[in-house]
Amino acid sequence: MLNHTTMLLELKEVNIGFGEGAKRIDVLSNINLAVKEGESIAIVGFTGSGKTTLIKLMAGLLMPDAGQVLFKDQPVTGPGRERGIVFQNYSLLPWLTVLRNVMLAVDEVYPAWPKKERLAHAQRYIEMVNLRHAVSKRPAELSGGMRQRVSLARTLAMNPEVLLMDEPLGALDAITRSSLQQEIIKIRNASKTTTLLITNDVDEAILMADRVIPLNPGPNATLGPSFRVDIDRRADRTSLNSNPAFIRLRNEVIEYLLDKRSEVGTRNTGKFMLPNLSPVLPQSVFGSTRSKAA
Amino acid sequence: MKSTTTHYWLMATASAIVTILVFAACGGRTSSPVTEASAAGTQTASGDVIEKPELVLGFIKLTDMAPLAIAKEKGFFEEEGLYVRLEAQANWKVLLDRVISGELDGAHMLAGQPIGATIGFGTKAEVVTPLSMDLNGNGITVSNEVWQAMKPHIPTENGKPVHPISAAALQPVLEKFRNEGRPFRMGMVFPVSTHNYELRYWLAAAGISPGYYTESDITGTTDADVLLSVTPPPQMPATLEAGTINGYCVGEPWNQQAVFKGIGVPVITDYEIWKNNPEKVFGVSKAWADRHPNTLIAITKALIRACKWLDENEMANRAEAVAILARPEYAGADPEVIANSMTGTFEYEKGDKRSLPDFNVFFRFHATYPYYSDCIWYLTQMRRWGQITTSHSNEWYFETARKVYLPEVWLEAARRLEQEGHLTKEEIPETDGFKPATGDFIDGIIYDGRDPVGYLNKFSVGLKDNL
Amino acid sequence: MKSISPVLKKYTPPALAIALFLMAWSFGAKQIETSLGQVPGPAMVLDQARILWQEHVAERQKAREFYERQKDRRAAMLEVNPSATVAAVSYTGKPTYVDQILTSLKTVFMGFVIASLVALPIGIICGLSKTVMRALNPLIQVFKPVSPLAWLPIVTMVVSAVYVTNSAWLPKSFLISAITVSLCSLWATLINTAMGVASVNPDYINVARVLQLSPLKKTFKVLLPATLPLIFTGLRISLGVGWMVLIASEMLAQNPGLGKFIWDEFQNGSSQSLAKIMVAVFTIGLIGFVLDRIMVELQKRVSFERVHA
Repeated sequence: MLNHTTMLLELKEVNIGFGEGAKRIDVLSNINLAVKEGESIAIVGFTGSGKTTLIKLMAGLLMPDAGQVLFKDQPVTGPGRERGIVFQNYSLLPWLTVLRNVMLAVDEVYPAWPKKERLAHAQRYIEMVNLRHAVSKRPAELSGGMRQRVSLARTLAMNPEVLLMDEPLGALDAITRSSLQQEIIKIRNASKTTTLLITNDVDEAILMADRVIPLNPGPNATLGPSFRVDIDRRADRTSLNSNPAFIRLRNEVIEYLLDKRSEVGTRNTGKFMLPNLSPVLPQSVFGSTRSKAA
Repeated sequence: MKSTTTHYWLMATASAIVTILVFAACGGRTSSPVTEASAAGTQTASGDVIEKPELVLGFIKLTDMAPLAIAKEKGFFEEEGLYVRLEAQANWKVLLDRVISGELDGAHMLAGQPIGATIGFGTKAEVVTPLSMDLNGNGITVSNEVWQAMKPHIPTENGKPVHPISAAALQPVLEKFRNEGRPFRMGMVFPVSTHNYELRYWLAAAGISPGYYTESDITGTTDADVLLSVTPPPQMPATLEAGTINGYCVGEPWNQQAVFKGIGVPVITDYEIWKNNPEKVFGVSKAWADRHPNTLIAITKALIRACKWLDENEMANRAEAVAILARPEYAGADPEVIANSMTGTFEYEKGDKRSLPDFNVFFRFHATYPYYSDCIWYLTQMRRWGQITTSHSNEWYFETARKVYLPEVWLEAARRLEQEGHLTKEEIPETDGFKPATGDFIDGIIYDGRDPVGYLNKFSVGLKDNL
Repeated sequence: MKSISPVLKKYTPPALAIALFLMAWSFGAKQIETSLGQVPGPAMVLDQARILWQEHVAERQKAREFYERQKDRRAAMLEVNPSATVAAVSYTGKPTYVDQILTSLKTVFMGFVIASLVALPIGIICGLSKTVMRALNPLIQVFKPVSPLAWLPIVTMVVSAVYVTNSAWLPKSFLISAITVSLCSLWATLINTAMGVASVNPDYINVARVLQLSPLKKTFKVLLPATLPLIFTGLRISLGVGWMVLIASEMLAQNPGLGKFIWDEFQNGSSQSLAKIMVAVFTIGLIGFVLDRIMVELQKRVSFERVHA
């Protein structure tokens, strides 16, 4: 058990940029973030402000140019299972079935376990995301929502200490998005894992996190102030929309972001790095007659 | 549940391994001869063990590979305890290389090949021969254009050109080409082929220079009035038609093919250049001969019998031979084309068929005996044109001939055949290996194998030796 | 036109095209007189095909009879002298057309296997390391366009020098042809594999990184399966190239396959030669087509996306 005052994940004065000389883009500068164990944080921001870069730093997929990324007070030197990450494009291996994709992670993380135990472990998480009926399917046969759930199951099966999610629901339609949000919330409430969510949807941020931190627009993006979420979210989603506290918080965050953006507008616009997303189109475009249900 | 990826890898590897094993087990050949190691030697009638009863012999698709085909089809090989596969080769170079490397046990060879190889012109290797396969059999053909230009300069009798046609009739044509700035090219089949030397002899007899070989020039076109180059026999008619060459010297059926197709006219046969000249031999590498002495004798016996069969009863068997040769696995040409030369006629200009019973001689005149003087003649011609770059004494010529030609093997084979009743005493020559001096050449110069250096110095065109 | 059955729709156009082609060929052939006689039309070619098959059957029969005779001879000899060493001899008849087809197939497979064994590992390494790719690229680009006929003399000399024993199990001519096929066909596989490995979706690489897979596991569990479709495309191209190259190299390397058949017929220059060569041309084409189809089927099984056949 960690000491109360020790942070699980910390970023101190982190700077990172890409390119050399005249082409250099400083994406993030002076990032300071402290994540307590058990917390759930959402980072909101505009497209291209560096959100993916930020989460990659935390996952250990990128190294900062200056500053420190600390996990349990130890500098992060690379990726690891304790910092599980759910990618924006699911990153499922398309030649493996759902079960095999999850097993890939389980086999790596728990090599000492007997096969049966590993299988049971994987299946537990697949059940958790309600995909038991799809265990032997390949990603090509799944809808976007299902794929994201597999990705989530895979990451969760690793039992990470921190769950990093990079705009996990960004490529989905509104209804799927909404239902998956509920699922994630349910899972999180059950496991109490420290979570860090990146999203461009303020509503989603407020719904899913304890703290909402805006990422100011880039280049040289910095983190804005934390907005604490004290709303009772156990009420259902539709009634939340009319909850005044919810509305007030949402407006605060949005106004903050809009202000920041208009500031930037007067500065030189730098280049935006767009995420590398491939949309999931329904199967009927390529000739199959039934579209898959989410 | 097995991972599908692993499954695929397993499947792929398994199929690859199975495939390799299956094909490897079947080997490269579907009807492969067994190697010496696995086949125990069979015994000959005389009790000697044949070291290697299963043989692969190579040949080029010419009518004078007949002794090989006849020896196989008439069972002469089998009677000697030999099981022979005959394999056509792409060209003379490949054939020689494969005999040297051992892929072929022996082959139908140009008389010059064992000699050239032994002295090191071209690939150097020790190649020997115990048997001459035939005499004569070549012709020189020119294109229709050249023939038309030659005709006015050829004396006629009863409306037909007088034979033999000397290359003097070619002189004005060369003049014409020179004035038009066109080179005159002729083809022959191999740098050490009989065709090369016969063509050169014919040209030189009329004072035309066929080109010299030097240390630096291995194409033999130095100071040439006529440029000679190598073309594989089957491609000669096509090359003539295309105009790339203006004439060629080659064996049959390629001269008669030209007449048949109307693309050229044979002007002279090598019988008329040098009566009864040695043409093809049966060659093996010396290493092979040393390892398989009994097998070599057996092969020689079978081939002598085949040659005798071909010339037997005033060529009564020739028609059957034509039928055999026309098969696609042997010479393969149409029977009508092969028939001419094999049955004693030769068609020059279309319609001008003349009797030439000795166009192919396989056995008469002791054709199969490997005379040293034949070998020495080739050596002199090699020296005459510069393929042999330095002067040599007569002794050198004798020594070299003894290295390449193996009359001892022939005599042993003939003796046994005599015992078995296949040969009569008269059919075995009594000789020291040197034929008597002869002037049966188109230019009448007398050749005596015992004085090769002197012979060289008789020519007006050609290198001379001053020893 | 909905009433036309889908089967008809699928097969009528090609059937018509083939029929038209045959008619045009038959007509055109009669117009041309080569020095080898008329260009053979479809009827003559079919006739020659039939003759080649009959020769094959006859030859097989002769072989059977030979072995029967040999068996009897051996039995007789052993009766007389039970301790005699009797050699078993194989039939020395000529290879038939079917034998030649089989030889060609074996050679191309051997060449293909060698090519794959060389190209796949090198391709993977090139894909993994930009430095290696940069180092090898000029060599690849220079050797890729070399024709098999240019390689042949070199390969012949090297094999002759290195492979001194000459077992019937692996004849030199077979090896020379197979190696020449490899040299010409390995480039497609190599380049496709390198390209595939180098351009593996970075998402998959990220997964491998997060899971902290060892380099070996990363290669076999992530890179190779991801690249498999592209590898198979390369293999398919390689096989096609190899088949083409094989015929050319057989002509000179004396490997007793279809290439040698064509060259021998050309040397024969008989009146049936052209027709026989055409039979060979169609045989080569049909076999090439079938080989390609096999590769497409394999590719489909391996691919997790659609294959464009």
